[in-house]
Parts: sequence; structure tokens; C-alpha cells
Amino acid sequence: MQIEIVSPEKQLYAGEVAMAQFPGTEGSFQVLNNHAPLIATITAGSIRVRNVSGMEETIEVRGGIVEVQKNKILVLAE
Amino acid sequence: MPNLKEVRNRIQSVTTTKQITSAMKLVSASKLRRAQDSILRFRPYASKLREIMQRVAAGVDDLPNEGVFAHRPVKNVLLVVFSANRGLCGVFNANIGKQVMLLLENEYAEAFAAGKVDFISFGKKAPDTLKKRGVVFSHEYNHLIEKPNFDEVSEIGNILIKEFAHGKYDEIVLVYNQFKNAASQATVSETFLPFHFSSDAKDTGDYILEPEREKMFEMLVPKTLRIQLYKALLDSIASEHGARMTSMHKATDNAAEILKDLRLSYNKARQTAITNEIIEIVSGAEALKG
Repeated sequence: MQIEIVSPEKQLYAGEVAMAQFPGTEGSFQVLNNHAPLIATITAGSIRVRNVSGMEETIEVRGGIVEVQKNKILVLAE
Repeated sequence: MPNLKEVRNRIQSVTTTKQITSAMKLVSASKLRRAQDSILRFRPYASKLREIMQRVAAGVDDLPNEGVFAHRPVKNVLLVVFSANRGLCGVFNANIGKQVMLLLENEYAEAFAAGKVDFISFGKKAPDTLKKRGVVFSHEYNHLIEKPNFDEVSEIGNILIKEFAHGKYDEIVLVYNQFKNAASQATVSETFLPFHFSSDAKDTGDYILEPEREKMFEMLVPKTLRIQLYKALLDSIASEHGARMTSMHKATDNAAEILKDLRLSYNKARQTAITNEIIEIVSGAEALKG
């Protein structure tokens, strides 16, 4: 699935991932392939993504919103 | 007939002016490009946020009359004024000053007379011109004009939201130049708080919301406001460079026109001088022959 993490100033991350984990306001949650459509808010913390070859990366954010739809994740970070 | 030396001096000075204005035009053009780029990068973000906001707001019926939504009788007002740090950009700064005075003479005349209108500024030209009219700015964030920075803007946004929610102000208004294209800007004043939002979406679609709708809406509102403030700043900066580029372009054209006229009158004066000299010599020779 595709993920795009953007801040108002620039794109922070974009690419194909197998898993993404977010610091949700109601607790951490994970998104895998074919996840149901979702809108969630996240708090300050790090977003962990694992790409198709198993490499993991973390991106620090100060909060934001996640929208998941049809294997496309968009994060409006701050 | 104008004196030769005088005309030469004027040509010299107009040439120098033209060099300066055309250099300023080039600088503004490149700054404008950068400002436009940051608007373009920011636009998808803002429109996506708006779309999500629409979805989330679809089920929220009655906004409470408190916090950021509170409609109170307008006694204390805050004007957030966006101008430039420098001049030479046509009517850019003048329009902002005019718009502020218009608000103070009409909508907020009562509050202004009672000294209940507060001002903060991005850019130092507005405070400079409005000082004469008895307008006192309590904060100036002039450095953000050169280097817009979302984190700092959102800090300021948070302060404004807090002050409004605590009842320090009953209305907060942004006055800035909206960016249309390089050649045109529209001076607007828009209400920042109380927060106003109407959703035309019927329902959320099949999205799962986490946390639940009301809570999420509450979190999205300050975010939207911070984005609105940042957008005003970006718009104002792009407008400034656009306005400066256009006015410097016009100034360069004008200088070229003046130079053309000056060269013509210089050449005429020179030719007259030569003709006079020849006439003198010829008539002198004629007289000797006599």
C-alpha cells in the first residue's frame, strides 16, 4: 500500500509500505494491507513504517490526522 | 533649449535608477517563485484537511456557543495585520492600511473609540504607516515575513485561540492581501474567530472515526485555524513579491521611456550647439571677406 506523510511545509515521507504504525490519540494502532477506510487523529510521537523488503523507518511527528482508504494512507502531520 | 550638461546628468541618474529597478524586479521574480512553490506545496494539504473536516463535521449538528465557537457581543477586537517589511511594492502596503482604517471607521468604530481594539502585525510597514493614526501594535512578528515557519505560526495560532476562548477578544480578524496571480492581489479581511464552518457533506461515508466524531471535530478545529493563519501568511508573502515585481517592472519601463525622451533632447541640444558654432564660423569668415 502507498503511504504519504506531509507537513504544511514539505513532504516528509512517501513510498510503498507493508505496515505502518501510528501514535493514535486513543492508543497506538497499526495499518496493514486492505485496511478498512479510517480517519484517526494522532498525537506527538513517531510513525513506524516497514517497507516491502522488511526495512523499518520511523518518522517523528507532533500530531496530525491519518486517512486510510483503498490501500492509500495519507498523513497530515504537523 | 536645455543645457547639454544638465541633460547628460539626468541621463546618468535615470540610467542608474533603471538598473536598480530592473535588478529589484529580477530579485522579486525569484522570490515570488519560491513563495509560489510553498503555496503550491501547501495547497493539497489544506484542501485535504478541508475534505476531512467536511466528512467529520457532517454529523455534528449544533455547535456549542462556547470556546472557539462562542458568538459574544463584540466588545474586544483583535486585528491581525499582514504587510511587508519593505516598501517599493506599489499599493501593497497602502491597501492594507486602507483596509484597516475602513474596519476601524465602520465595523469596529465603537470598539476603537473605546480603545478596545488590539493589533498584532506580521511585517513592519503596516505599523509604520498606522502609527500616525493612533494605532498601537502590541506584537510584531516581522521576521516571519522573510522566513515563514509553520511551527512558529502555529504557536501564535495557539495563543490566539487560547486568548479568544478565555474571552480576551470577542472577535479576531485577519487583514491580508490574498494572492491571485503575480499581477493581482485582493486585500481581504476575514474572520478568524469565532470559528465558523458549514459542511455540505451528508455523511461520513464508510469511514471509521477514531476517536469519535465530536472529539475529533474538537481536535480538528484548532488545526484548521492554525492552517488558516499560515495560509494568510503565505498568501501575503507571495502577494508582496508579486506586487513588487509588477511595480518594479513598470518603473523599469518608465525609466526606459524617460531615457528615450532625454536622449532625443540631448541629441537635439548637441546638434543645435554644433549648428550654432558653424554659423558663427561661417558668418565670421563672410565678414572678413566683406
